[in-house]
Amino acid sequence: MSGTKPDILWAPHQVDRFVVCDSELSLYHVESTVNSELKAGSLRLSEDSAATLLSINSDTPYMKCVAWYLNYDPECLLAVGQANGRVVLTSLGQDHNSKFKDLIGKEFVPKHARQCNTLAWNPLDSNWLAAGLDKHRADFSVLIWDICSKYTPDIIPMEKVRLSAGETETTLLVTKPLYELGQNDACLSLCWLPRDQKLLLAGMHRNLAIFDLRNTSQKMFVNTKAVQGVTVDPYFHDRVASFYEGQVAIWDLRKFEKPVLTLTEQPKPLTKVAWCPTRTGLLATLTRDSNIIRLYDMQHTPTPIGDETEPTIIERSVQPCDNYIASFAWHPTSQNRMIVVTPNRTMSDFTVFERISLAWSPITSLMWACGRHLYECAEEENDNSLEKDIATKMRLRALSRYGLDTEQVWRNHILAGNEDPQLKSLWYTLHFMKQYTEDMDQKSPGNKGSLVYAGIKSIVKSSLGMVESSRHNWSGLDKQSDIQNLNEERILALQLCGWIKKGTDVDVGPFLNSLVQEGEWERAAAVALFNLDIRRAIQILNEGASSEKAGCFKCAGDLNLNVVAMALSGYTDEKNSLWREMCSTLRLQLNNPYLCVMFAFLTSETGSYDGVLYENKVAVRDRVAFACKFLSDSQLNRYIEKLTNEMKEAGNLEGILLTGLTKDGVDLMESYVDRTGDVQTASYCMLQGSPLDVLKDERVQYWIENYRNLLDAWRFWHKRAEFDIHRSKLDPSSKPLAQVFVSCNFCGKSISYSCSTVPHQGRGFSQYGVSGSPTKSKVTSCPGCRKPLPRCALCLINMGTPVSSCPGGSKSDEKVDLSKDKKLAQFNNWFTWCHNCRHGGHAGHMLSWFRDHAECPVSACTCKCMQLDTTGNLVPAETVQP
Amino acid sequence: MFVARHIAADHKDLIHDVSFDFHGRRMATCSSDQSVKVWDKSESGDWHCTASWKTHSGSVWRVTWAHPEFGQVLASCSFDRTAAVWEEIVGESNDKLRGQSHWVKRTTLVDSRTSVTDVKFAPKHMGLMLATCSADGIVRIYEAPDVMNLSQWSLQHEISCKLSCSCISWNPSSSRAHSPMIAVGSDDSSPNAMAKVQIFEYNENTRKYAKAETLMTVTDPVHDIAFAPNLGRSFHILAVATKDVRIFTLKPVRKELTSSGGPTKFEIHIVAQFDNHNSQVWRVSWNITGTVLASSGDDGCVRLWKANYMDNWKCTGILKGNGSPVNGNSQQGNSNPSLGSNIPNLQNSLNGSSSGRKHS
Repeated sequence: MSGTKPDILWAPHQVDRFVVCDSELSLYHVESTVNSELKAGSLRLSEDSAATLLSINSDTPYMKCVAWYLNYDPECLLAVGQANGRVVLTSLGQDHNSKFKDLIGKEFVPKHARQCNTLAWNPLDSNWLAAGLDKHRADFSVLIWDICSKYTPDIIPMEKVRLSAGETETTLLVTKPLYELGQNDACLSLCWLPRDQKLLLAGMHRNLAIFDLRNTSQKMFVNTKAVQGVTVDPYFHDRVASFYEGQVAIWDLRKFEKPVLTLTEQPKPLTKVAWCPTRTGLLATLTRDSNIIRLYDMQHTPTPIGDETEPTIIERSVQPCDNYIASFAWHPTSQNRMIVVTPNRTMSDFTVFERISLAWSPITSLMWACGRHLYECAEEENDNSLEKDIATKMRLRALSRYGLDTEQVWRNHILAGNEDPQLKSLWYTLHFMKQYTEDMDQKSPGNKGSLVYAGIKSIVKSSLGMVESSRHNWSGLDKQSDIQNLNEERILALQLCGWIKKGTDVDVGPFLNSLVQEGEWERAAAVALFNLDIRRAIQILNEGASSEKAGCFKCAGDLNLNVVAMALSGYTDEKNSLWREMCSTLRLQLNNPYLCVMFAFLTSETGSYDGVLYENKVAVRDRVAFACKFLSDSQLNRYIEKLTNEMKEAGNLEGILLTGLTKDGVDLMESYVDRTGDVQTASYCMLQGSPLDVLKDERVQYWIENYRNLLDAWRFWHKRAEFDIHRSKLDPSSKPLAQVFVSCNFCGKSISYSCSTVPHQGRGFSQYGVSGSPTKSKVTSCPGCRKPLPRCALCLINMGTPVSSCPGGSKSDEKVDLSKDKKLAQFNNWFTWCHNCRHGGHAGHMLSWFRDHAECPVSACTCKCMQLDTTGNLVPAETVQP
Repeated sequence: MFVARHIAADHKDLIHDVSFDFHGRRMATCSSDQSVKVWDKSESGDWHCTASWKTHSGSVWRVTWAHPEFGQVLASCSFDRTAAVWEEIVGESNDKLRGQSHWVKRTTLVDSRTSVTDVKFAPKHMGLMLATCSADGIVRIYEAPDVMNLSQWSLQHEISCKLSCSCISWNPSSSRAHSPMIAVGSDDSSPNAMAKVQIFEYNENTRKYAKAETLMTVTDPVHDIAFAPNLGRSFHILAVATKDVRIFTLKPVRKELTSSGGPTKFEIHIVAQFDNHNSQVWRVSWNITGTVLASSGDDGCVRLWKANYMDNWKCTGILKGNGSPVNGNSQQGNSNPSLGSNIPNLQNSLNGSSSGRKHS
């Protein structure tokens, strides 16, 4: 402490106070600012604490070192070591009426003046103060003072003490130390050993020495350079750290010959080393001109006795502030808390966190361990859906039966939350594909039905013969445009795009109406315009403008649609008109892509529609429909090819319209999965109607497998079963083979096998239960050998008989359950048995038995059948979740 | 976005690892107090400690669950140079009544001469396999040939990494297109510029693990490593905790039909690198879909990282180690002014380097 570099000390007992000392001593009080504002005049130490200056003491010049009195009372007593070797007792803001007033100002003077390097209060005998001094010829360098020497308050009355203290300063000088040690040497650092109050460890000039005050003639010492900053581990009293230059040495006092360990050397010299007082084996070190505090977490250090274990030391560093750190101090009681001070006396209070280990649970909650504490953190439910991770989205979608609406296929996008335009496009595409496949199959079975699922790319390719274009009149305008004559394939494409409905009618009217209803004014207007109906387009825009005024700002943007309509109505066919000029330049400033393409279309030269075709913000289906209407066969093929590749590259689900569920579609879906991880959509999409060779694609199988695995992890057993059923409809080979057969005890034949020979009962052994129809014969004996089937362990009736309603189940509150039971009646009659003890019976009976019992129902059998299967005990999560 | 809740862990010393089972219904923790605790989640969502027992004679570094298909099985590894496999048994005692379950040691794996630093079960489709790594730089792969007998484990492979190992991660992909793969990180802190992450791949022909890749750019000590759940992606994602958080993608270069045999080649790209933890990063963990990464570091915070649709990774949440939010969520940007400004720059430079990635 050279006067410029401040040091910092926590009060040992009043733990909300600390002292900063450079040329003077400043006492601060720390307050939490969690629930209060920063007070005027206080300094912010961290996000939630601030310090207020309580008092300043500048009585003691030439401070070299400071040590806080360890006893409770008086609290603000400090010993200051000065450059001339004197040790002065001083206090900070303490009431001067205390009985210890006589101590304040007391000075302990060595024989020869030299710098005082270090001070250490004895932790047990609180009046003993050790001071380490520089060398002065043959003089002693370690002096132990008794601060009460000369004055004994018991003997000398209080008044007299105060009087004498006030009268002359000389009476406060103490020159006779209790002990003098370390002759002919210098002392750089000191610490008392907690093993015994009479043991003092000192870092001398070239050695570490242990002085025993019971026998001062002897000392134990070891030659080393690492003599600075000796300090004892508060949790492990034989472990001592000291340093020299950039190296820290760890000593074990039981084998005090060499360090048990030296820590990796730092490039800059160390200035302070301190053990954390609140946690075992954590050593903080500070080097000169550095803004980080390096921590050594000593999980295991070698011990001199026993086996030679390798050390496990975890090196860490913390950066409490941006400036260089002058000094730091551990808080005596708050866990891992420390305060640091910079050369310009800014302070910062912070806590060193333990290394945090963490783990995600499958249901998106995060658990972490910090020190000895565990924290769980779950995603809040009311989150904005846009921020939700795909894991949460997929889970919620699985619960809402996403992908399972096979009738109104488009509805799946609503089940998915109706938030993702790509999903919307995908499910509409799949919906139309399904619809038209069925349509085609009805018209001409086996003809083009499969083509629909192959996407527009294949449809367009398959079109034979040239398509002629013809001139069509604009309605409401004196103008003509070339439009391709629509052949069957183009009509199908337009249908898939959703522009026209089923049937031969090529009217876009219904489509426009539905768009208008959904408030998609701009899109509707553009579609109307592309169908050469400018009047309808203007009318739609006007409608939109009026409904916007009514409070619907959904598509307002910054533009009044009336203005657009006005601009539109000014359309002129003249090539060099002002209108054309203005539109070409200003259309680029329109925010809405549909408005933009409308003007692009109107101002385009005949046959070049790039402004429409390559406007990426316009939905793919509209652009493709537009292309089908206006492009010639070769142009169309090229355009579709190009767009397909673009979609594949981007993994844009709108592109499924083009690729269909083909290999191309799998490629596209692969990019989508790579980008989003949404295997759920990928699986359901591919299971919608892909041909078997696509379904067998390794990638598709892998997505399906991954999605099933997710459902398993979430314990969505029922959802997975539904998924498997859905899957087996398209891919019968995915149906798992029966894994269990019931064989007769007597003849050994499978009872279901022999049963399936009976013509009208061919569906496995599930019909062994009672069936709803009373006409069906109840099979209670083996169909092979006619011996009776085993008896249920609970009802003691032969298997194959129906389950009677639950015993004692006539209570009214169980009525709901009963009705539920009936639904599952089939299952209740199933055979079930324990794989361990081989006892069993009707599934329904067994389930109700194990609801209340742990052991097997067969008397004298102690098998805990149900507990053997730990996964069997897992409740499906669907029932728990909302 | 997230709220944290404290759970009384009751460990007597530092907790080193937390691990969830396949369903997230059970959790295991291990500690310097030489014990492992098993926690079960109640219907109400609270965690109850259902077992706590002394597992080792030293700090227990890691604990991990086997797939439930193999029963309720845990593995732990420790400073005491061993790894152990534990199985829950349905005891004759009335432990169940007290809400306690009983775990028995099935085997002790004693091959390591030094502290065993990590232990991980292989993905389910590989059977019941276990990998350990140790401070002496050897990765050992054990297999239980009979899944019904957990007391017999045979040492199948010993892979020498030449550097003290700190962490391992199996590639979870079950696709037949991907061979079994394991990534190993080293915390060797000697000042050499050796690469600290090595990736080994199983070769069907030689029936051995051979080095497939080395992440040459990672030269600082690595504390944790984690493959993301593959989830049907055509590439693998690997997170590395070193002096910063790094995320790599490994895209298998499609094997030519002719070149069977040799190790798979990968196009490796670093897609994100964040030094927001200021200093060492200790742990990384992926969520179930491999879309959100959580990391912890010496700044005492847990940070969450997520990629947007452009494959730009961003910090989406910061939590203090003691569960308190970082100065309220609204001020998230303010309290960490460097956050907002750093990432775009970083991302730009990264995008420049990772030209192989597709951008929509």
